Amino acid sequence: MTDEQLDRRVRDADPYRPEVVAHLDGVAQNLLEEIMSTPVLESVTEPPGQRRSRPRRRLMSGLASAGIAAAILGVVFGTSILKTEQPGSHEASPETNSTSEAPGTTTYSAMVLKAAEENPRLLIDQPGWKATHVDGFAERAGSITYSNGGRSIRMSWYQASEYDGRYKDRLQISKPESVQVDRWPGHLFRYSEREFEVILQPRDGSMVEVRTATAYTRADFDRVLASVIRVDARTWLAALPAEIVTPERLDERRAAVLADVPLPPGFDPATVNVEGVNDSDQFGIQVLGPVGCAWITEWTRAKKSGDDAALRRAADALRSSHNWKALQQIDKGGYWADGFWEIADTVAAGKPIHPKMFNPCNPEE
Amino acid sequence: MSSGTEHEERFRRVYAVNFEALLAYAMRRVEQPEDAADVVAETFLVAWRRSREMPPEAEARLWLHGVARRVLANHHRGGARRGRLGDRLRQRFRAALAVDPGSEVPERLTVRAALARLNEMDREVLMLTFWEGLEPREIAVVLQVNPAVVRTRLSRARARLRDILGDDLDPPGHVLDVMAVRAPEEGR
Repeated sequence: MTDEQLDRRVRDADPYRPEVVAHLDGVAQNLLEEIMSTPVLESVTEPPGQRRSRPRRRLMSGLASAGIAAAILGVVFGTSILKTEQPGSHEASPETNSTSEAPGTTTYSAMVLKAAEENPRLLIDQPGWKATHVDGFAERAGSITYSNGGRSIRMSWYQASEYDGRYKDRLQISKPESVQVDRWPGHLFRYSEREFEVILQPRDGSMVEVRTATAYTRADFDRVLASVIRVDARTWLAALPAEIVTPERLDERRAAVLADVPLPPGFDPATVNVEGVNDSDQFGIQVLGPVGCAWITEWTRAKKSGDDAALRRAADALRSSHNWKALQQIDKGGYWADGFWEIADTVAAGKPIHPKMFNPCNPEE
Repeated sequence: MSSGTEHEERFRRVYAVNFEALLAYAMRRVEQPEDAADVVAETFLVAWRRSREMPPEAEARLWLHGVARRVLANHHRGGARRGRLGDRLRQRFRAALAVDPGSEVPERLTVRAALARLNEMDREVLMLTFWEGLEPREIAVVLQVNPAVVRTRLSRARARLRDILGDDLDPPGHVLDVMAVRAPEEGR
């Protein structure tokens, strides 16, 4: 067989079938719009006074944009920022949000800003409130818990389509009582004398539940509700505490999480995408999980191929996870790190992995 | 630095020009063809997020292949989540790819099975040469090696493939994909 014949045989064996593209019916274009509606890592710094409402992207209704939209849905945060940046904050109606300005130069990607502008953003205009837990921002639902001393409030949001079911469910709890949160209509339900929840009606595709997470008197809860305000995107983003990892902070925080973590051969941290907004525990889990999985996979490969040096490196790396600072910090907040160390030690010792053991290669578990 | 709009338009052009090439690249290297949807979506997502680093449009394809190569490595390690982004593309793929595996030409299956028996680097050099149509200097950019190394590899890979095909004249009954068969690491 000549080189020419060989080359032709290889060319003919190409499994790609160009006709596939003809059957995609615009899906490729939709994918592009979804991708471009996600925030870019490089930030755009806009000088004060030049902020403007950017034109809406034509196809922002894609899945990704929905995810980002949910990520920016509203919340309650520390208000020292509010006090200085948002005087007369009750003026921050949806109509004025896109043009209202927070003072000082703030750095956000255009995409994050735009997504934020398209969603309700709630803050508690009282000092001392801080986000202590954040999850699920990358999905169409999520929640944040805010604490102030011994008191906590949890705000959860869902797609607007869930409203009817949730409202009907709460009718089993108590009679609804009409309330407004910064002119946003909703209903208050009473679980007990010390536990309340407000369900806000759908707005811009989402609904919000505000629920007491610690004991409140009704008067206390009313006072907190009365100070919840809707603010512009920049104020909301600026109010996110430093511990919360926004898309803007992704690169920096990922590098910090991985600072003392050995990376498997060929592992590119840039391929570890952490979507949305996360607290530091959730962020650490989403970054370290793929690294752990990659080391387990590398250990398995090395074992199969009899590569003793690679096997030792993988085992050492897995054992070293006990010293990874970010993993130790996660340990303070839950059992994820224990599960990680259990499987890391098991694999490093060459013991079989029990199917029910936590496994970072199956992050959905 | 280009303005936001210019930058976005540039990314759109790069996407339009390279989408099919990246789709083909992914389809040739995943076990289940619909997984290519995830690889393509993830590759362009990483590219978008790093688009300020993207080289001029004429060179963007090689850069994208480099991104796709790392995304694929993650995919094969099982570390990649199935993303929401690729969902619709994946669904469309399933419909577009509905084909009887038995209709594949046995000769092609034989060659793919032979490719699967090569080590990863030899196989990749052959695939990039004959399926992606890249020159050795371009392959060198994608693989981040010296062009001379690519030429040597190509020559050796051809010889090895010829040996394997010579040993294996009977077409197999069914081969799903070259990546479905893991080749032993070279020199071990």
